[in-house]
Amino acid sequence: MLRSKFKSAAAALLATALSSSAAFADITILAWPGEPSESAFRKVLDLYNSTEGTKNNSKASVIYFSQQGFKEKMLADVAAGSKEFDVMLTSTYDVGLYAPFMTPIDDLITDKVYDVISKNAIETQKYEGKTYGIPTDLSLHFLYYRKDLIDQLNTDPAWKAKYEEISEKILGKKLSPKPADQWDWDDFIASALFFTKSINPDSPVRYGTVLQMKNLLYNIMLWQGTVASNGGDWRDKDGNITVDSPAYKRGLEIYKIITDNEATPGDSSTYEYGEANSVFGAGQVAFMLQWNAAVPEFSNATKYPIVAGKLGLSHEPAGSEGPKTHFHSLGLGLNKNSEKQDEAKAFLAWLATAEPMKLYAKEGGSPPLAAGPMAEIAGDRPEMVLMGEHAAKYGFVMNGSTSAKALSIYTNMAENFTGYWTGEIEQDEAIANVVADMKKAFTP
Amino acid sequence: MSNATSFEMKERAAARVLLVPLCLFMAALLGFPTLINLWYSFSDVSFQNMIGSFVGLDNYAAALSNPKMWQALGFSLKFAVICTTLQVVAALVLVFILHPLLAKRPWMTAILMLPMMVSPALMGVMYRLILNEFTGPIPVYLEMMGYGVNFLGRGNIYKTVVAIEVLQWTPFAFLILLTARQTISYELEEAAAVDGATGFRSTLHILLPMMKPALVIVVFVRFIDSFRVFDHIYVLTGGGPGNLTTSISIYIYKLFFVQNTLGEAVAVSILLLMMSLALIVAAMRLVVRRN
Repeated sequence: MLRSKFKSAAAALLATALSSSAAFADITILAWPGEPSESAFRKVLDLYNSTEGTKNNSKASVIYFSQQGFKEKMLADVAAGSKEFDVMLTSTYDVGLYAPFMTPIDDLITDKVYDVISKNAIETQKYEGKTYGIPTDLSLHFLYYRKDLIDQLNTDPAWKAKYEEISEKILGKKLSPKPADQWDWDDFIASALFFTKSINPDSPVRYGTVLQMKNLLYNIMLWQGTVASNGGDWRDKDGNITVDSPAYKRGLEIYKIITDNEATPGDSSTYEYGEANSVFGAGQVAFMLQWNAAVPEFSNATKYPIVAGKLGLSHEPAGSEGPKTHFHSLGLGLNKNSEKQDEAKAFLAWLATAEPMKLYAKEGGSPPLAAGPMAEIAGDRPEMVLMGEHAAKYGFVMNGSTSAKALSIYTNMAENFTGYWTGEIEQDEAIANVVADMKKAFTP
Repeated sequence: MSNATSFEMKERAAARVLLVPLCLFMAALLGFPTLINLWYSFSDVSFQNMIGSFVGLDNYAAALSNPKMWQALGFSLKFAVICTTLQVVAALVLVFILHPLLAKRPWMTAILMLPMMVSPALMGVMYRLILNEFTGPIPVYLEMMGYGVNFLGRGNIYKTVVAIEVLQWTPFAFLILLTARQTISYELEEAAAVDGATGFRSTLHILLPMMKPALVIVVFVRFIDSFRVFDHIYVLTGGGPGNLTTSISIYIYKLFFVQNTLGEAVAVSILLLMMSLALIVAAMRLVVRRN
């Protein structure tokens, strides 16, 4: 009797083991941390685990590194052949660097995917003709401004007169105020000077703008709209380096004039995304250039009561080529070392469908949706429509900025250009250093 | 006599056998990484090609001819000298002031040790918030009192990173020096006082000389530690603006992880290791001679 019970139990155990080995295994995803996308992505995973994941018998969990040094840690892990995560982060600006450690996923990119995700965004996840990621977040820049202040500047005769006086005195030309969506870079500088208390004691805010000038590559991405809007690029179509151009010099000067006139906080050389948000949100500056991710944050009246209801959004100021914005996408792709390629692919295939992408958008993520799903979520996330428009109209990707050396070039630019803005080195020296580094990087 | 010699030989053989596990342990933990790093420093290894091919002394030549390396080295040396001096002086002053109090209430030592227990990276994040011009309590209160100071601005950033290092690690120097101070017999001081020595003279001629071995150790440890500073500076400034606060450790980190020039990064590390070894030998000789 006992023996027969034991046999039945053993058979049941064996059957369970066999059935589970035939089924999918659980997967781990290494994703980009930080709100609001982190919470939104957790909701997407909950949906997967309760629907498709249950069907596949494959649960997905997420792990995060800290933002600081994220890419370095991921690079060290994949180079060491880590299998700790099956799905990993991809970004337009370093897809070339990580491509050797990833499995291309072109077989997942069907026509149905293009109905959900913008084709342009999928292009930004390609390297040497192969697709490495499903884009989950579009990143570009807006000019964030206080509507109440800019409106008053355009209507109050006393403010107008002061604006003209300041622009003439400091910039050497008499400029008149304009609505933010008609600004060029001179208007940007003049407005920054006008709203700076040390220049205009009647300014209701302490500084005109807040520049992010920490020695950090992302800050160069934020700045380089000044260059692209004046026709600048990393390289021309023949591959010649074109950083030593009037467009780059003009871009560098825009930040330099603002810094030298103290129209940005004195500790801006240690500022990045978070600091700039806290300064703008505390009502200490009138406008700033910032990543789109800040829009949902400023919509939170509890967190930022001073700017709630007063936030205006526009494209970056125009240069000789009109307004431009750097844009890139973050995405998720397959770790080549993963032993769960099928499970990870099943997850990515599901992720590229309408339901998870719309949920992600509703919860605060910024997926680059195609027109159909975008129209469905426009009511919840109006700025996403603007993002789509801006990416299409003003978006640029610098020539060479998806190569394996892009991160290193951005970092070198950050080192040299922040050095110039804070008076450590001269402009010519900064540009020459960057050009020398780029020549080395692009030499086969 | 022959019995004694045989016993000594057996003892020596036993000692050698007993040393084997330690040698194996050292070979595994230090020998292998050192050898592999030596290979890396002579090769063009990268994340995409972890084996690399032999390039001779190219990495060392590139490292030594790079002005950024010398700039970073200069920063680290200056930073280490300033921080070590400030930490040791502050710790000494604290030891002489607080020694009587801590002798009665030893639990207070634990409170003084608190800054040392915070991770340096967290310290960087903390000061990034505390010293922010708008949201940081210190600048805000100073502003209210009419002393507007921009701690993280270009003019002050160097002083700020030094101050953070000193605030965090002075307790370490204090702990070592306090222990050394506590080992000095009270009778010695009493005898000096009976002979008419003032407090200052007995500190100068009795206490400080007796604390010298501990002082050498503290100076040595704090110098090495401050020299390889990384965490709080990287979090606070990223090594900038420009290269203003790029320490040699940040420089190596960027060469390795950002520039993907692993060979050159390791070559710089090996050059620094050789420098550190020279320092260790010098410091140990000083301590041994003193003892």
